[in-house]
Amino acid sequence: MSALAKVSYFWRSAAGGLRHAPFVHFIAITTIAIALFAAGLARTAGRALDGLLASLGGEVEVTVYLAPELAPEQVDGLRTKLEVASGGQAVLVKPDEALKRLARELGDLGDALAQLPENPLPPSLELSVAPERRTPELLEVLAQQIRVLPGVTGVDYGREAVERLTAIARALRFGGLVAFAVVLFATIIIVSATLQLAIYSRREEIEIQKLVGATERFVKAPFLIEGLLQGLLGAAVALMGLWAFGRVVGPTLTSLFSFLLGPTTSEPLVRPALELVVAGGLLGLVGSFIAVGRFSRV
Amino acid sequence: MIQMFHVYKAYPGDPPVLSDINLHVEKGEFVFLTGPSGAGKTTLLKLLFCGEKATKGQILVGGRNIARIRESAVPYLRRNIGVVFQDFKLLPQRTVEDNVAFTLDVLGVPRAEARDKVHRMLKLVGLEHKASSYPLRLSGGEQQRVVIARALVNDPTILLADEPTGNLDPALTVEIMDLLNQVNIRGTTVMVATHDSSLLARYQKRTVRLERGFIVSDEDGVKAARRMMAV
Repeated sequence: MSALAKVSYFWRSAAGGLRHAPFVHFIAITTIAIALFAAGLARTAGRALDGLLASLGGEVEVTVYLAPELAPEQVDGLRTKLEVASGGQAVLVKPDEALKRLARELGDLGDALAQLPENPLPPSLELSVAPERRTPELLEVLAQQIRVLPGVTGVDYGREAVERLTAIARALRFGGLVAFAVVLFATIIIVSATLQLAIYSRREEIEIQKLVGATERFVKAPFLIEGLLQGLLGAAVALMGLWAFGRVVGPTLTSLFSFLLGPTTSEPLVRPALELVVAGGLLGLVGSFIAVGRFSRV
Repeated sequence: MIQMFHVYKAYPGDPPVLSDINLHVEKGEFVFLTGPSGAGKTTLLKLLFCGEKATKGQILVGGRNIARIRESAVPYLRRNIGVVFQDFKLLPQRTVEDNVAFTLDVLGVPRAEARDKVHRMLKLVGLEHKASSYPLRLSGGEQQRVVIARALVNDPTILLADEPTGNLDPALTVEIMDLLNQVNIRGTTVMVATHDSSLLARYQKRTVRLERGFIVSDEDGVKAARRMMAV
C-alpha cells in the first residue's frame, strides 16, 4: 500500500476527469475566469479610487485665520500648537502674500485689488493634516479645538467637500463588496453544479470503486483535485485576460483619467497575480467540496 | 466464514424480502444459492457485502458482525469480498488491464506491482492476450472473466457471484463455472446465486434454496443434483 501510488492515482483520475467531460469543465473554467477577471478589474478600479481620494485628500488643508495684531512669537507659538494637534505641517501666509495669491487666482480682475486702500486679508496659517486624521469627524474636532485658541479669528477646511468625498468612497466600496459577494456566490454555485454533472457522468465508476472497497475520501479526492485544477486554469485565463486588457485598453484609460488620478505608479504585478491564483484555487475547491458533499450513496 | 442468524430484510410497506435466514458457510466452501426470481437471492448476497442492511438479525463475515458495522468500516470489509454481477459492471472506456487494476488502484498498490498482479490474474482467467482490449470488443464470456479477474486480483477470501452466467450461452456458462470452481479449489469461499438448475446438476455443490424469502432447503451437492434430475 503506498500513499504515493494513491496520490498519483488521484491526479491521473482528476486529469482523466477533465478529458472525460471537456465541455462541462470548460463552462466551469470560463465562469471562474470571468469572475476573477471582473474581480481583477474591480481591484484595479479600487486602487485608482484610493489614489484619487489620496490625491484629493492631500489637498485637504485647514486654513486658520489669525488676528492681525499677533506678534511673530505668538504666531510661532500658535504654529507649534497646531502642528502638534494636527500631526501635520503649518505654513504662515502673510497678508501681502495672501493678496498676491488672490490677485493671481482672479486673473484680469485681480488688478482691481490694487485699488483697495489697505490689504483687508488677515495673516493665516495653512495646516496640512496627517492622512489618518482626514475624516469629517476628526477634522471637525480639530477645527473646534483650533477655534478656541487665543489669536485665532476663524477656521476653514472645506467641510462639505470632505464629507461628500468620503460618502462617495464608502458607497463605492460597499457596492463593490456586494457585487463581489454576488459574483462569488454565483461562481461557486455554477462550479459546484458543473462538477456534479461530471460526478454524475462517472457514477458507474464510483459505484465500482465503492464495491471494490474505496473509502468516501478516496472517491472524493479526484473530484476535489478536479475543482482545484478548474480554479487554477480559470485563474490563468483571467490573468491572461487582464494582461491583454491592460495592454490594449489600459493606456487609453490612463490618458483619459490622468487629470483625476495624477501621475500613476505601476505597482508590482507578482502579488496581485498570486492572489488571483489563490482565489481561483479556492473557488474551485469550495465548488467541488460542495459538489462532492452531495454524493448519493451507492 | 459466513454465519447468518435469524436475518430479516424488509422494505417499508412491502412484505419481507428475506425472513428468518439462518445460514452457515465454512471457509473454502462452494455454495449455490438458488430459487425462482424474486426469492431473495440477490438481496441475501447484498447483505453480505453491505450493499443493503439487514432489518433484523446478526450476520458474521470472517468473525465480524456486519449487521452493526459502521459506514466508515464498510470499504475495508469489501476489500475482502470479491463480487461478480450478471451485468458485468465493467468500465467501457478503460482497457481490460485497467479494469482489473481498478481494484488495486483503490488499495494504493504501486503501479509496477499492480501490473504484475493483473497479468497473473489475466493469465489465470485466460485473457492475458486481451490485456489492452476494451470490454465492448470482448464476448460476454470474456467480459465475465474480466470481472472475475477484477474480483480476485486482491486475493479476497470470499467471492460472491450474482447470476454470473445469466447473460451467457451454455458453452460460455460452463467456461465461467469451471473458472469459479477452479477459484474455489484454490481456497476461496464461493457463493453463486443462480436459477439455472442445469448448473446444480452438473457441479453437484451444496445448494441452498430460497422461496419467497425463506430458506426451504439446504442440501449437499449429490442430494441436490439427484433432486434436480428427478424434476
